[in-house]
Amino acid sequence: MAVLEACDIHVRFGDRVVLEEISFAVEPGEMHGIMGPNGAGKTTFFNVLTGRVKPSRGEVRIEGEDVTGLPSHRIAARGIARSFQIMTLFDEFTALENVEVALPEFRARGFDGRRAAVGDRGFESAARAVLAEVGLAEKAGIVAKDLPYGDRRALEIAVALAQRPRVLCLDEPTSGLGSDGRARLAILIARLKGRLSIVTIEHDMEFLFGLADRISVVHWGQVIARGTPAELRQNAWVQRSNLGRLQ
Amino acid sequence: MTPPLLVLERLKKVYTRGALVKRPTFTLEADLEFPESRIVGVLGPNGAGKTTLFEMITGSNAPTEGRVLVAGADIHRVKYKERDRLAIHYHQSYQVRSFSKRVPSALLARSPTPKPILHLFDEPQFNTQDGYIGFMLDFFRKLRAEGKLVFVCLHPTARYHLEILKEIGESFLLVHGGKAVPKASFSELVVDERARGYLGPDMTATAEALA
Repeated sequence: MAVLEACDIHVRFGDRVVLEEISFAVEPGEMHGIMGPNGAGKTTFFNVLTGRVKPSRGEVRIEGEDVTGLPSHRIAARGIARSFQIMTLFDEFTALENVEVALPEFRARGFDGRRAAVGDRGFESAARAVLAEVGLAEKAGIVAKDLPYGDRRALEIAVALAQRPRVLCLDEPTSGLGSDGRARLAILIARLKGRLSIVTIEHDMEFLFGLADRISVVHWGQVIARGTPAELRQNAWVQRSNLGRLQ
Repeated sequence: MTPPLLVLERLKKVYTRGALVKRPTFTLEADLEFPESRIVGVLGPNGAGKTTLFEMITGSNAPTEGRVLVAGADIHRVKYKERDRLAIHYHQSYQVRSFSKRVPSALLARSPTPKPILHLFDEPQFNTQDGYIGFMLDFFRKLRAEGKLVFVCLHPTARYHLEILKEIGESFLLVHGGKAVPKASFSELVVDERARGYLGPDMTATAEALA
């Protein structure tokens, strides 16, 4: 069964057709790429998947269960985590603290004044394990705003992973990264893929074609093409383009 | 008998200027029928009325005279919110224009279909570098195979624009001099004097080589 599924999604902003009949399914362990020109509706589609925008028609399902219209924190609690195009970290907190506050056990406990007063770090080992996964083990004590850009991107993914999601949704994870940062991110995603499902909006085609199991091309608020990278490359016009020249 | 997908019945749009003596500044006429699914290439100079024609067909801009029948339904008599279940106008964001809605929605009819039958693409941005063209053209073909009527409006300024029109266009519509003139094929389009004047000598030569 698909982990995350969207059926026949329609979104209208006033008279504007933003999404028209999008259907989509992510299989367990799959890395599903979403690409498309600016304004195609990719981020709106992400917002529908993660409960930030309610579709005017259609259904979102998590493991077969209808979650359409649930608020985003309820959808997150069901195992859908996301990162944003614009970074959302607590700048004054250390890398470790950023991850700690995202752990479900931390959130479930709420604020406990007595334990805070004695400096209880009950969740530290869980948070350190997540940081190690994204290669930030050595930088746990550094305040987020002092981390280099690439590390901040990795920390964002750690914050999403701390929620132990079944599906990780990444909105343009390579934006602002240089070639070293991209290579590092590619290694991280390749390692995570298989263990959990990943949905990535991405403009960097080389990055996406190298990592994704399947790609949905979104334009005009619809999926205009879908397939494995090899299938999409068959297209004669694609072969004439930069994309066709990629390995 | 199933009604034709689209009928433009003595359709006319006139824009006028002047409060007392109204002088027409723009006229567009079309009297056409598209019985079944196909991909239609639309061309014409800037200001000739391509977008106005698309707006009338999709129901956002009311014609001065005549009717637009989509699968037998007069789209201008369908509830505003349901017109996109008959026809969708895909435009660039800068092209979006709003028009007044004079008739209350309660007095208008429901759309007879749940999914749009007409798909009108208004100058989609094609770029040979990124490879999207191939996916876009396949998408037009997919819609056509599903029984939809597809209009693709293009303003040819490069060879590949003409290649695209030649590749996907089953027939053409030349919007020129206040009229929408049908053309049965690419070669018929290329010999038309108005089309040649609009394309200019370089693009005409390219089009002839392709035809």
